[in-house]
Amino acid sequence: MIRELSALTKRELLRLGRNPQAIATSLLLPILYLVLFGQAFNLNNITKLSPYPVPPSVFLELYRGAPSYFSYFSAGMTGFVAVTATLFIGANVIFDRLFGTLKRTAASPATPTAIFGARLLAGSVQPIGLAFLVLGLSLLLGHIGLNGLDITASVGVLGAAEIVGAIVILSVMFASLFIAIGFSLEQPQTYFAAVNAINLPVLLTSAALYPWGILPVWLKNVASYNPITLAVNVLRENLFAGASSYYPYGPGVYLLGLFGWAAAMFLIATLLARRALSPRR
Amino acid sequence: MTESIQVEGLAKTFNGTVRAVDNISFSVHPGEAFGFLGPNGAGKTTTVNLLTGQLAPTAGHAVVDGVDVFRHPAEIKRRIGLVFQESTADSDLTGRENLELAAALFGVPRREVRDRVEALLERMQIGDAADRLARTYSGGMRRRLELGVGIIHSPRVLFLDEPTLGLDPQGRAGFWRYVQELRKDHGMTVFVTTHYLDEVDLICDRLAIIDHGHIVASGTSSELKDRLGGDVVTIRTERPEPAVETALRAVPGVLSVSAQDGSYRIKAPKGEQLIPAIVQACVQSGVGLSSVSLKRPSLDEVFLEFTGHEYREDGVTPTDRAVRVSQVSQAFGRSRR
Repeated sequence: MIRELSALTKRELLRLGRNPQAIATSLLLPILYLVLFGQAFNLNNITKLSPYPVPPSVFLELYRGAPSYFSYFSAGMTGFVAVTATLFIGANVIFDRLFGTLKRTAASPATPTAIFGARLLAGSVQPIGLAFLVLGLSLLLGHIGLNGLDITASVGVLGAAEIVGAIVILSVMFASLFIAIGFSLEQPQTYFAAVNAINLPVLLTSAALYPWGILPVWLKNVASYNPITLAVNVLRENLFAGASSYYPYGPGVYLLGLFGWAAAMFLIATLLARRALSPRR
Repeated sequence: MTESIQVEGLAKTFNGTVRAVDNISFSVHPGEAFGFLGPNGAGKTTTVNLLTGQLAPTAGHAVVDGVDVFRHPAEIKRRIGLVFQESTADSDLTGRENLELAAALFGVPRREVRDRVEALLERMQIGDAADRLARTYSGGMRRRLELGVGIIHSPRVLFLDEPTLGLDPQGRAGFWRYVQELRKDHGMTVFVTTHYLDEVDLICDRLAIIDHGHIVASGTSSELKDRLGGDVVTIRTERPEPAVETALRAVPGVLSVSAQDGSYRIKAPKGEQLIPAIVQACVQSGVGLSSVSLKRPSLDEVFLEFTGHEYREDGVTPTDRAVRVSQVSQAFGRSRR
């Protein structure tokens, strides 16, 4: 099982490494968001239009303790790339089925768990890497005179572990979700239609982009359970000093909720993969 | 004798209505090359999918290499080799990486992997392209790579599902040469499905003909041809003469005579030896002959005899087949049986 898993994971990583276009494409979206959207959409600039001084507490309330919209938003983008970077993982399952590669693997003694696990492991590498790239780029932008991520809290070992944990669990969750869809559908067109039906609603019902303070109550209620929100809550509570007072729970609770999402998706994906790879009835 | 493959009452129905395989039974002896012959949609690939643990049956039993296929599909996958009709090697991996991956999945001992991969690359004549991505391989190279992937773990039973589909005659000849070498060197049992009659005739020790999910005949190629009653001598007379048919029937050794559009089809076990007597019978009946032809029974006729319809070999012209037969025969240094 371990040998099969490592051989199949190596295969997936080799394929990923040999497809630089896919990596470049997945980089493009977060870079555009950070360099264009994040720079243009700076809500703090509203003070320039206001005839009255806007108290800093308003912005802290708006961004749940983050010092600026960009800082708030860049933590959100770190979570959102877990979605964008895992989109194609399920499509690969479909293409592998169409091109016969999956048939070959399924006809081997490799267990469905190893086949699914390898895709999950390799599929989580890219979003995790991308998430840290977004964090790094956001920090860098602040050092070259642009809006950047301003980490105002001192992040300890536990905080760093919680941040890494949130990114990893979120990536595994979305990788599981898209692999599950890939094993359930046969046509790429249907897959991309399904992905589009998930992608935007998940983003737009999360707290990744919206300043929390101006969200309507009903959307706050919906967003509170969104896995992206759960992950970015962990990041924001750890990155910004005093942020915890704006959140009803500590990072551990959000991590637990996120873990629940990931476990559910993992279970569903495992069952669907087992069904797809078992002798057909 | 314990059979390599033993199938009893195997059936597969899709969606409750389409009976792709309908109550078939057969056995394959150890070390034998067994051909499963039939047109597209006859049930060949479904049978392979059933016997290789990829498909659950509607009814029946199958034992391959001593293991119950439907009770232990995972064990079956470990024991058999399988070459699909389509290319399944990973295009984004090199030939070497494809073989190494297969070695890991089939549990080849780590210390043996390198040697086995090198030996197969050489044997399959893809050593020079071993480190090139499989997507750059020609059709023939990909087929040989597929065969290499299928036998990396030295299986005792090898399933080949229309393995030469889409290959040119030289590619086919080369592919079958490797298969024959494997059989000779390892005593491997080979179960091959194909819709190329000539390949079955040249490669297989025994064969079964499947049509519409039923096995309609099985045996050696010679046995099946013999069941047709021997050769067919066709004569055309200069003019119709009813007495000719009676005279022909009286020739010793003639099994049957049928008149057809001004010509006569005469069945006889050794047609070439009867031609002088047939000519003499016509002359004695007072008519001259405009043509005489002798046709030895082929699997085409066997197929026609047992299925009641002509063989549907899609997209292959008689010329293609003639060229292929000639080249494949040449590769084996054998004449067509």
